[in-house]
Amino acid sequence: MRNRIRVLRAEREWSQAEVADRLGIARQTINALETGKYAPSLPLAFKISKLFAKPVEEIFDPASEE
Amino acid sequence: MKTPNPTTAANRRYAIEFALSMLAYVVVLVISITVINYGLPPAWKLVFALLPIIPIAFVFAAIVRYVGSIDELQRRIHIESLALAAGITALLAVTYGFLETVGLPHLSAWFTYAAVMVAWLIARPFVARRYR
Repeated sequence: MRNRIRVLRAEREWSQAEVADRLGIARQTINALETGKYAPSLPLAFKISKLFAKPVEEIFDPASEE
Repeated sequence: MKTPNPTTAANRRYAIEFALSMLAYVVVLVISITVINYGLPPAWKLVFALLPIIPIAFVFAAIVRYVGSIDELQRRIHIESLALAAGITALLAVTYGFLETVGLPHLSAWFTYAAVMVAWLIARPFVARRYR
């Protein structure tokens, strides 16, 4: 699923490792999320939404389901 | 915010628990083999033959705890590769079972264990690559 995680992360000048630590996930996982290879669970999606202070639908694009 | 990352912590804890369990396994195995070769009554032989199962059970517990505490994608990768490993092992076991009916030597149950572990190890990077 396409999403804006990479853009939001870049805006805040956070590294993948930083975001991974803030979310309690592996760096490989944040990479898989950013490239759209992996769609997160609902709880993780909400954690991401909280971290970037944006609603889930502003981060993830449901129209791009792979 | 400097809370420890649970996934990173799980990796570290697993490495430590695995190393300690394997060390205990080697020690117990050496004791077990030495004692058995001393010539014991059969009941005691059985006890010492089964003793190395205890550290192996600790390895199992460490794996279960590890898979339970890593993040959802890493868990998914492990479970998918374990499922593949189980399938591959089943295929191999059935194939060899048929070969035994035409005269190939009977193999020990040990080979099943080795097959699952090797197949899991091989399957993991292939499964992980799908998420890269």
